[in-house]
Order: sequence, then structure tokens, then C-alpha cells
Amino acid sequence: MSFFKRKAKSKEPERVTDAKVNRASVSPQSPSAGLRNHHAIQEAAGPSHVAINAISANMDSFARGRTAILKKQPSHMEAAHFGDLGHSSVNYQPQETRSRLSKTVDQVLRDNVAIPHYMHFMELRAADHLVRFWLEAESFRATSWSRVRAHSLNSVKHSALAEPVPSSPDGLELPETASHKPSVLSRDSSNEGPAQPSERRDSATEAGLRPGTPRAETPSKQAPSRTGTPYKGQANSTLRDLSDKLMKSIEKDAVVIFTKYISPDAVRPIPITEQIRNDIVAKICGEDGMVDPNCFVIAQWVVFTILELQHFSEFLRSHHFCKYQIEVLTSGSVFLADILFCESALFYFSEYMEKEEAMNVLQFWLAADNFQNQLAAKKGQYDGQEAQNDAMILYDKYFSLQATNPLGFGDSVRMEIESNICREGGPLPDCFTTPLQQAWTTMEKVYMPGFLSSNLYYKYLSDLINSVRADEFVNVTSQSGSVDTDRSSSNASEAAQTQQSAKKAAIKILKNFDEAITVDVASLDPETLYQRPYAGKMTFGKVNELGQFIREAEPEPDVKKSKGSMFSQAMKKWVQGNSDEAQEEMAWQIAKMIVNDVVHQSGHDSPGKSTKL
Amino acid sequence: MTAAPYNYSYIFKYIIIGDMGVGKSCLLHQFTEKKFMADCPHTIGVEFGTRIMEVHGQKVKLQIWDTAGQERFRAVTRSYYRGAAGALMVYDITRRSTYNHLSSWLTDARNLTNPNTVIILIGNKADLEAQRDVTYEEAKQFAEENGLLFLEASAKTGENVEEAFLEAAKRIYQNIQDGSLDLNAAESGVQHKPSAPQGGRLNADNQPAKEGCSC
Repeated sequence: MSFFKRKAKSKEPERVTDAKVNRASVSPQSPSAGLRNHHAIQEAAGPSHVAINAISANMDSFARGRTAILKKQPSHMEAAHFGDLGHSSVNYQPQETRSRLSKTVDQVLRDNVAIPHYMHFMELRAADHLVRFWLEAESFRATSWSRVRAHSLNSVKHSALAEPVPSSPDGLELPETASHKPSVLSRDSSNEGPAQPSERRDSATEAGLRPGTPRAETPSKQAPSRTGTPYKGQANSTLRDLSDKLMKSIEKDAVVIFTKYISPDAVRPIPITEQIRNDIVAKICGEDGMVDPNCFVIAQWVVFTILELQHFSEFLRSHHFCKYQIEVLTSGSVFLADILFCESALFYFSEYMEKEEAMNVLQFWLAADNFQNQLAAKKGQYDGQEAQNDAMILYDKYFSLQATNPLGFGDSVRMEIESNICREGGPLPDCFTTPLQQAWTTMEKVYMPGFLSSNLYYKYLSDLINSVRADEFVNVTSQSGSVDTDRSSSNASEAAQTQQSAKKAAIKILKNFDEAITVDVASLDPETLYQRPYAGKMTFGKVNELGQFIREAEPEPDVKKSKGSMFSQAMKKWVQGNSDEAQEEMAWQIAKMIVNDVVHQSGHDSPGKSTKL
Repeated sequence: MTAAPYNYSYIFKYIIIGDMGVGKSCLLHQFTEKKFMADCPHTIGVEFGTRIMEVHGQKVKLQIWDTAGQERFRAVTRSYYRGAAGALMVYDITRRSTYNHLSSWLTDARNLTNPNTVIILIGNKADLEAQRDVTYEEAKQFAEENGLLFLEASAKTGENVEEAFLEAAKRIYQNIQDGSLDLNAAESGVQHKPSAPQGGRLNADNQPAKEGCSC
């Protein structure tokens, strides 16, 4: 097709860097037939044939002119502002597609921040034993493997003989949970007195657990069952003891888990079939006395599927998940990825970008990222022509010299894009990576800080909080007081809401933080609207007998004196409707975030901001 | 701060979905720019447009996400459905296939948006009466069966374009009024902001400087 003839043209962009080349000589070399065809196609697609012309002719003068214009671009697009504006940026990874605010089951189970919230949610559904089992089994697996490996490394160190190394855990990685759970496990196992295992053995299984001692007598049996390397074990009895202890301890751990969750006598057994249960038993008390650290893997998979299918979408809609999101957002480190890959955060961020007149940057990033994603998803099986058309649309919109939405990308980037697009076979899924990196860096460095301290962001947080409180209230009581939601208190919103006073108090605090916390929390709740202890006479003032005008309508004088105490008072008022510690905790987290933010900002010597404090 | 500060009380998030070539981008462009783009290239992934309109005396800003209709972008555009207050589902009255695919689009919309999301069915290209392939009545019936608003419109002439966005906005506003939509929940697709510095408060004088400031 004509596009692919353009590969001759693609050499031209490289030539531009050599300023001495005579532009006029370049055009005849371009395959004019291809150009004409391309014009025809581009006619259909839009007025971009002009762009193609511009590429091939008078590039030099255009480029010089353009550079001059570029120098006048808004500072946030100037390379000088950020050094190389992301050329060496390590922040943008094309694979960075996750927001911490959007989770899958697997991600939640491996996230220490999310787990408490998830656990609360599951407790309400009486399904927390599933989660606990999964976590304990996972931890058991990880620590057992690492202990076995450590032990075998040690034994190799101590003796020249090869200790039988258990086969690799079938590609399962050593998860991070290993670090935070072993203490729990070892506590459990250390509680086991020597008498208990035998009791457990009696009650736990039909097959019966064999005492783990025969190892001393038949060391040679271990080797063939695992790796086949002969174990000349006679040399070191201490090693054997260690090995025994290790195996016993692993066995103990396995038995604990078994008893808690898998045994038919367990208080809350997980729902697995008899077959799986027998399989687990066989793996715990293996023929050779070795416990298979992977014994619970199948049961874990069963439980995982249940979690995913039956519980997870509810969790995502629950206030527990909102609480988790709030925790992330107030942790002090919110990343651009968290915002861009979470739809509700993106809603607010888009509004912010529009107000900043930088929507183009975000639009480009979204479009180019979408383009690359859908191309990458095809795994090489895509129509190069179609991809090229798509890419040209983006080029015409954002990169071309006659771009409708120019972003101020430098010449070198533009040329790189041109050659990526004109590549034989069509563009690759990493076609726009360089400008995407630059756009990402711009958004991250220029707009994110502003967004995170903007009203919009606080609004997003307070909406999340509101979702939490509304939900919790619905769960806890059936109160449904119809409260006026409208914060401006004059417009017409009469939706029936609950807990609005609390939510509105949050807004008030957040918005007013950098002024004296003049929070009149009570005034926001219509119930107490008529009780205004500080309202006074509701006049501006009066003239006294001396002819002096005395102001009446002063804001609560207490407030100005003690920011801290008023703030904490306000906080307590906000949470007092529901004296739940968790609520107060959350409120304090928000407060901490605000304080951090303010301190952070005042730490910079930007006069504009510091005067606000 | 930019030119038009907080002169709107609400922001509603809309999405526009439908087969490729039915005129989604043109509808958006007609709505936001009051111009008809004769030669617009197809949308890559998603595009974005906004406009402020008045609904029941309130100024409302519509944040509209125009999605690509090509099948290859279907997976990426799905992520924009979530948290939409309103959805415009568009078909082309001169191409029956675009009408037949509506059930697939509707399924996506119902699965991925909130239960309260207002969906309005738009039969675009109403100006091409001579090439009509889908009657008004049957589309109307489909809409009624599925609880959708319905309008035939033309992005080219502008007929019913404003009405399309406005009808959906009115319905959303109504939902807020009667409480079925919690406008202060994070995933509602609605942002509520005070249109003016809070009047009636003793501390109102502190507000204006802050309201308009984006930092």
C-alpha cells in the first residue's frame, strides 16, 4: 500500500537535523505516487495532507519558525523547565497501569493497607474465615519454602554434601506476605506443646499422621523422593536434627492451619471437597515424613475463586473500600497513576485540568495510551495500515506543524513520531512512548501538586467520606433523617440524605483550614440551625450612648485565638454523631494530611502560598 | 484562575457510546462548538468536551467523554463508563446495523455504570430522511421497553442536539431532587459545588479568594 512506500520519506526527518541539506532536493526523492495516494487517504481522514506536505517541503524554515514559537510556549512545556522534560524520566513505565485506588482480589490480598478494610467487610458477611485461611496458607507456603531453602543452604555450607533440595514451587513466587506473617506462625507453633501434636494427630485425620521420627533411620529414602541426589547423611547428625526440627515445625504449622480450617471438626471449615481434604492430608503427612509446603495451594485456589465471584464486587461498592481509598489518598503520597487509572478520581482531575487550560495534555495522554494499549493487546496480530491511520490522526491533532491541538512537543520528538508512524509494517505499540512520558511528567510535576491541594481534590475526598458515612449509617441504624444537603444552603437541593452535617463539617474544615478554623459545625445541620449559641443578636452592631459603633457580628472570637483546640473541637464535633473510633481516626488522618500539606507548602519559598497560611 | 470561574453549581459526567460512524463525535462537536465537522477523523480511544447549560435554573457543566466506536477500542473505552451520571447511546437512522447493535451497547452500559445512570437513546442523522432505515416508532418502542429516553437528532443541522443533552440533564437533576442519586457520593458522576462564595455565612468574606483559586 502507498503508506509503506513512505519508508523512503521517513529518511527525510533524519536529514532535517543536518541543517545544511537543501530542502528542495528532498522532495523529488519522495515517491510522489505514494504521496498522492496518501493524500487521497488523508483527504478522507481530514485536512492532514497539508501536514504531509509540510513534512516534505520547507521543513527547515518551518522548524526554525516553530522553534521560535516554542520558546514562547507556556513554561510547563519548555524543556528548560525540567531539564530534559522526561527524556530520562524513570517515572513513567508503560506498564504502570494500576491505580492503588482500583484493586483486584489478588492485589487486595497482598496489600497490607487494604487487608484490614477487606477483613472488616468480610466479617460483616461472616466470610472472614475464608480470607484468614487464604492469608495463613499463603504465609505458610512462603515461609516453609524459605525455611527449607535456608536450611539447605546452611547444610551445604556446613558440609560438602548436597542436601536434597525440594523442587521449585511450580513457578509460584515468594510473596511479600512472608515478611509480615512469620511472627504469627511462629507464635502459633511455639504455643504447641509436644503433647498437642499427638492429640491433633489423633483427631485430625482418618489417615493418621505419622510421627516424624523415622528420618533418622532412613535418611536415604528422602533423596530419591525429591531430587534423586544421594544423601550421604551419616556424616552429620546435627544436621539431621536440624532437619528434623525444621520438618516438625513445618508440620506443626500445617497442622494448625488444617485444624482451624480444613478439618471437618473445625469451627468454621472452608468449603472444600473431601477429595481436596484428603489430598491435603496426604501432602502434610507424606510417606517420607516431609511436608509439602504447597499442600494448601488447591484449597487456596478454591477459596480465591469464591472470594472473587461472590464477594468482591460488593466489596468494591462498600464503604470499606471507600475507607481504604481515603486511607491511600491521605497517606501523603498519592501518585499520578492512582489518579489517572481510577475513574472517579479522573473525573475530578479532568475538571481540574480543564480549569488549568491543560486539558489537551490529558486528552493526548488518554488517547495515545488507549491507542498503545489496544495495539499491544493484539500481540502483534493487527492491521498495520489501520494502526497507521489511527496514529496519523493523533499526529495531525497533536504533533503536526498545523496541529489543531498543538502541545509544543519539540522537533526531535515530532521526528521520532514521524519515523515511528511511517515504519514499514505500521507503528508499534510503543510508537508514542516518548511524548507519553513527557506528558506524564508534565502532569505529574506541574499539575498534580496543584490538584492535590485544590478544592476539587478535597471535594473528592469528602465525597468518599460521605459515601462511607452514608453507607455505615445505613448499616448501623435505620435512621433516615431528611437533611438538607446543600452546602451553600440557599440552592434548591432537597434530596433526602443522612449524615449530611458530618460531611458538610468536613468540607468546612478542609476549605477553611488555611484561615482560622471558623467552623460553625452546628450551623450546617438544620436540626441545630435554630440553636446558635454564638449568634448573638444577629445585628451588625449598635451605637452606644457615646456614639461609638460597636460591632456585634464578630465571628466567634475563640476561634482566632486557638487554632489547634478549635480544630480538634471541630474534629470531635464532626465525629461525635457516631462515636466510632474508626471515624475519628479517619478524621485525624485527613487532618494530618492537611497539616502535612500545609507544612509542605510553607516549606517552599513561594511567597504566593505562604501568605495564605 | 481561568476565565469562567465557579459559575456553575454542578458537573455531570456523560459518556457517548455507539457504533463507529454514527456521529458521536459530531454530536459532541455540534453541542460544544455549535459547528458541524464534516470531515472529522474517527476517535482514538476517548475524547473530551465540556459545556455549561442551564437546568431548572441551575447552571450545570457537562463533562462529556466521547468514546471510540471501533470494536478494537471497546476494551479500553469500557473503563470510562464507570461513574457516569448520563449516557448517550447513539445509532444512525440510515444504517440498520447500528440500531441492531444497541442491545450490546446497552448491556455494557447497564453493567458498567450505576443503576441510576440516565441513558438516552439518540437516533442521529435525522436530516437524511430519504435514507432512513429505522423508523421512529420502533426505536421509540425499544427505548420504552428498556427505560430509556429517546430522541432523533441531527448533528449536521443541530436539530435536537441541545435537547438530547438537556433531557438527560433534567432527568439526572430530578434524580438528585428526589434522592435516588446521591450527589455527594464519589461514584455518582456528579460534582456539586457552590456556585458562589457561601452567602449567608458569617465568614463569607474569607471565601471568594479561595474559591477561585486553583492552588
